[in-house]
Amino acid sequence: MDVILVFTYGLITALATGLGALPFLLVRTVSGRMVGRLNAVAAGLMLGASFGLLAEGTRFGGWQTFSGGILGVLFILVTNRYLREHHAHPGSSTGKEDGLRRMVLIVTVMTVHSLAEGVAIGASFGGGMALATFITVAIAVHNIPEGVAISAVLRANGVSVPRCAGWSVVSSLPQPVMAVPAFLFVEAFAPALPYGIGFAAGAMVFMVLLEILPEAYGKGSAREIGTITTLSMIAMMLFQKMVAG
Amino acid sequence: MATPLIVLLYASIAALSAIPGGFVRWSAEPGRERWLGWAHALAAGGMLGAAFVLTGVSGAAAGAGAIGAALGVAFIVTTHTVTRLDTLDLSRPDRDDPSAAPRLVALHALHACTEGVAIGVAMAVDLSLGVFMAIAIAVHNVPEAALLSGATRRQGAGPAGTVGLVVLSNIGQPALAVATWFVVAAAPSALPWVLGFAVGALLNLVMTELLPASYREAGSTSIALVASVALALVVLLGGVFP
Repeated sequence: MDVILVFTYGLITALATGLGALPFLLVRTVSGRMVGRLNAVAAGLMLGASFGLLAEGTRFGGWQTFSGGILGVLFILVTNRYLREHHAHPGSSTGKEDGLRRMVLIVTVMTVHSLAEGVAIGASFGGGMALATFITVAIAVHNIPEGVAISAVLRANGVSVPRCAGWSVVSSLPQPVMAVPAFLFVEAFAPALPYGIGFAAGAMVFMVLLEILPEAYGKGSAREIGTITTLSMIAMMLFQKMVAG
Repeated sequence: MATPLIVLLYASIAALSAIPGGFVRWSAEPGRERWLGWAHALAAGGMLGAAFVLTGVSGAAAGAGAIGAALGVAFIVTTHTVTRLDTLDLSRPDRDDPSAAPRLVALHALHACTEGVAIGVAMAVDLSLGVFMAIAIAVHNVPEAALLSGATRRQGAGPAGTVGLVVLSNIGQPALAVATWFVVAAAPSALPWVLGFAVGALLNLVMTELLPASYREAGSTSIALVASVALALVVLLGGVFP
């Protein structure tokens, strides 16, 4: 039963990625400025969610959460290096045949990113329903601009809107798949909980600082992007306090 | 020692620890800007950690805290707009703009006041938490002062004048720390509001200034590493407080 619930929550976040294709029903392209704002919202929500994870993790053990967090940072660093070495940067390629490679690349990059988010969902269930709910909401909302980013690349290469939505969901399928083993692990082996929560928080903070924020700042004024990020973060923390009662 | 004196002492130590930074002379060569970026990232991670520690203290409440935080954000946005500080490029404060140095001093003073509120409210919650906050902000003050000295010295100010400006711009820190402590001591029901204000203002400073500046100065991988490790360390050390 619990496993089904964890899988369902993970699946909800994956399906949310598909929502990112919806704007392309109305418009051919989404402006870079709007993508920057969406990324700023995502960055704020994820930072707010990470603060919630850190508060929960440090309750179980400061050093364990810290170690898990450093592991999360290293995980994102290593996977990012790997992706960069094995594929050219998406922005650097030009020409028609590169369109396909760019599409494969963005779906691959997003899929690898989803691994850590799946661990975050699973580990958060170890900290109770309230924690699991707001982590799931944060990741689901964060997935929407990711879906927009994927769909923007695919749509530019003539892929239909339903297929854009499909590939967006596929890129997030590691979330339900990874959530279940992460949950079973922290359930069966309670001392692992602060490590798991720390890992999830470290991975999310690092992903925000490494990619989401620099990209967002590149698409708008620092004041606009920064203020949207701050307000989203505050909203997420308020939401957490209200859910936790 | 009476508590207000302890608040004054530690907030002053935090403010004065900026002085060594006033002697640093940053060069604008491309290779040296990376150090500036890492200093900014260190300050950003530390301030994120400080905000995290403040959200976790027992006096924090959801509704009042969120409204206080929104006010803190509004305060930073408004003061930046009024003083036109949002158009100031922190990475290259010296470029062809004679008004850059005085505006940087004003910006520095604004930061110092915000950090003073954070120290004061932390002191009101718990003295040891306040001391921790003062030390975190003292560390953060050094690169901030170094940045200021880079601009003023290129405008022709000597080391003594620069250090004088650093001290002057930091006077708001102990002043607001003590004032905030008195407000919360006199009206304990104000605590969640003030906590929220400090968190919102600190976060907005990080997101609208420190981080964007740091990304312009160094690569995002090193910035992300420095900032997240600084955040992790402050969270770890802050965990010792109830």
